[in-house]
Amino acid sequence: MELTDIIFYIFALVTIGSAMIVVFSRNLVYSAFSLMFTFLGVAGLYVLLLADFLAVTQLMIYVGGILVLMIFGVMLTHRVVNVEISSGAMRVIPATIVVGVFLGTLLLVLTRTKWMVMEGSPDVIGTTSMIGTALVTDYLLPFEVSGVVLLVAIVAAAFMARKR
Amino acid sequence: MNEIIQSSLSLLWPELTLTVTFILTLFSQFALRKAPMHSGYVALAGFLLAFLLLGTQGGSDASVFGVMLAVDPFAVFFKYLIIISGILVLGFSLQSEEIRNNAEHAGEYFAFLTSMTLGMFLMAGASNLLMMYLSIELVSLSSYVLSGYLRNVERSNEAALKYVIFGAVSSGLMLYGISLIYGLTGALDIYSMRDVLATGAVMPGSWAFATLVAAVILIIGGFGYKISAVPFHYWTPDVYEGAPITITAYLSVASKAAGFAIMIRFFKVAFLNTVSADGAWEVLAGMNWELIIAVISVLTMTLGNLVALWQDNLKRMLAYSSIAHAGYMLMGLVVATDNGIAAIMVYFVMYLIMNLGAFYVVMVVAQKTGSEDIDDYRGLAYRAPWVAGAMAIFLVSLTGLPPTAGFIGKLWIFAAVLSKPGFVWLAIIGVINSVISLYYYARVFRNMYLRQGDEEKAQPILFGSRTIAGSLIFAVPTIVFGLYFGPILEWAKNSVTLFLR
Repeated sequence: MELTDIIFYIFALVTIGSAMIVVFSRNLVYSAFSLMFTFLGVAGLYVLLLADFLAVTQLMIYVGGILVLMIFGVMLTHRVVNVEISSGAMRVIPATIVVGVFLGTLLLVLTRTKWMVMEGSPDVIGTTSMIGTALVTDYLLPFEVSGVVLLVAIVAAAFMARKR
Repeated sequence: MNEIIQSSLSLLWPELTLTVTFILTLFSQFALRKAPMHSGYVALAGFLLAFLLLGTQGGSDASVFGVMLAVDPFAVFFKYLIIISGILVLGFSLQSEEIRNNAEHAGEYFAFLTSMTLGMFLMAGASNLLMMYLSIELVSLSSYVLSGYLRNVERSNEAALKYVIFGAVSSGLMLYGISLIYGLTGALDIYSMRDVLATGAVMPGSWAFATLVAAVILIIGGFGYKISAVPFHYWTPDVYEGAPITITAYLSVASKAAGFAIMIRFFKVAFLNTVSADGAWEVLAGMNWELIIAVISVLTMTLGNLVALWQDNLKRMLAYSSIAHAGYMLMGLVVATDNGIAAIMVYFVMYLIMNLGAFYVVMVVAQKTGSEDIDDYRGLAYRAPWVAGAMAIFLVSLTGLPPTAGFIGKLWIFAAVLSKPGFVWLAIIGVINSVISLYYYARVFRNMYLRQGDEEKAQPILFGSRTIAGSLIFAVPTIVFGLYFGPILEWAKNSVTLFLR
């Protein structure tokens, strides 16, 4: 086993383990904090895939922005610790069957499918400038359209949150 | 690169106009604090300009920004449908009391209406999975807010929330499908996707093929949600009932048109080998989706019609009826020929007129009587003969009886289905469904003409000449296009051309 493999498994373990805490923990604060490790783990996986820009974005936006906001939200909410957030286990059997079938299908899809493998070029150092160029050339239209989508989203959020 | 951008932009005048209109309308409310409803005229001016500028796209069969967005006769046809219904819905909105009573934020209302229209324009042409997702998302985000526009009406808030939740699930499904397809083919634009599939990288019977089937079904989840096909229709009745009726009308026509456009483009381009001389599609080996779509079509029309039977609220009934109509139109896609697509397009023209007309009548009646209940339509023919007469025409047309537009639409769809060997059963199910639908449309008809209202409700309702003219704008074409439909047929047949690289 090479060093990168070991690092991969560590990051994967961190990601999945903390994601399970997010789901299973009954305490909102624990959930929010362990979400941070999920995001960090995913960022680490991006680094291993040589997607440096994506990793930095993940850190800056999810960990630095969204998560901090979420934790603030949780902390400022009235009575943080003993809030009943989960609605308890309902319809356990049908849910287990559906999730089991879905998981089985996904595992089969993942392991049996012959995926399209792209040639990676080893001499690429840093993807940021490539992504930047692509955004203003080949992907200009989606880039601009996502600008409009985000503008709509911001105005929409402000609109929905206004006073009655 | 600069040349590509410049030549691409010169083909996008209507879209650019709508983008600018969106921003202008948004800001116009600061200038129009005293009369916020006037923002509607800013939007209306932009829509009319976009309508005129659509002429510049006529006849072009190209793709802009690489192969991000196709500008072809097919897309232009659907853009005309979208912008025409957009202009009509703007007209509704300016008359609507629901909007007037909440006029404080009318600027946002009209701005979101514009951004939604822009999104639908992009949907009509999107030929890259990324653009498909973004354009669907633009339409969805705008429509979530619009369906919750009436903040002090509980139903409207509920509608927005349900719409967001179901919308998020279906975009999640669609994104997952897209990622699977990207993993299989390494392509995001549907042309390269077809090229990879044509090399036989994904053979039927292999695991990769099973993955492809799963991915396509997931993507149908995204499209099906926009056209409210079963089983992705759950949001439809609640949203249609709770949203302001102007938005319900817009969702039921334009949003559905854009959904069909994007779905037809995906299925035709991505799996097509060649189009034979008579317009039949020869698909790549094993890529026959007809049966999947046929099953969805049957489920959609049957469920829509059966549940519509039990509705007492006319708006909700029309919601289920619109689900059923999506089912009929899907039959045209099952055929997988250019004729089938032309039939869908003809159907859409007819559906636009009759459905918008029906919603217009529901709106003006609700403004006078304060009710959308079918029972409160008793004796309407004697209280308001003009409006009830128009409604009767729309109902006959929605059922699909001659001599109305709806009959012509159904005729072409059924003719297309019958031309495909082995799918006679589908046509039979379609006809049975039309008969079922007669029952609930006739119920409204019976209430209007054959029953008397209560004593205190027997007074004539006085509608202004503007309202009567408004309902005639829809009623007259419903009859005229039922008798004289040649030009529409021609237009649809000339517009089935999709840009194929």
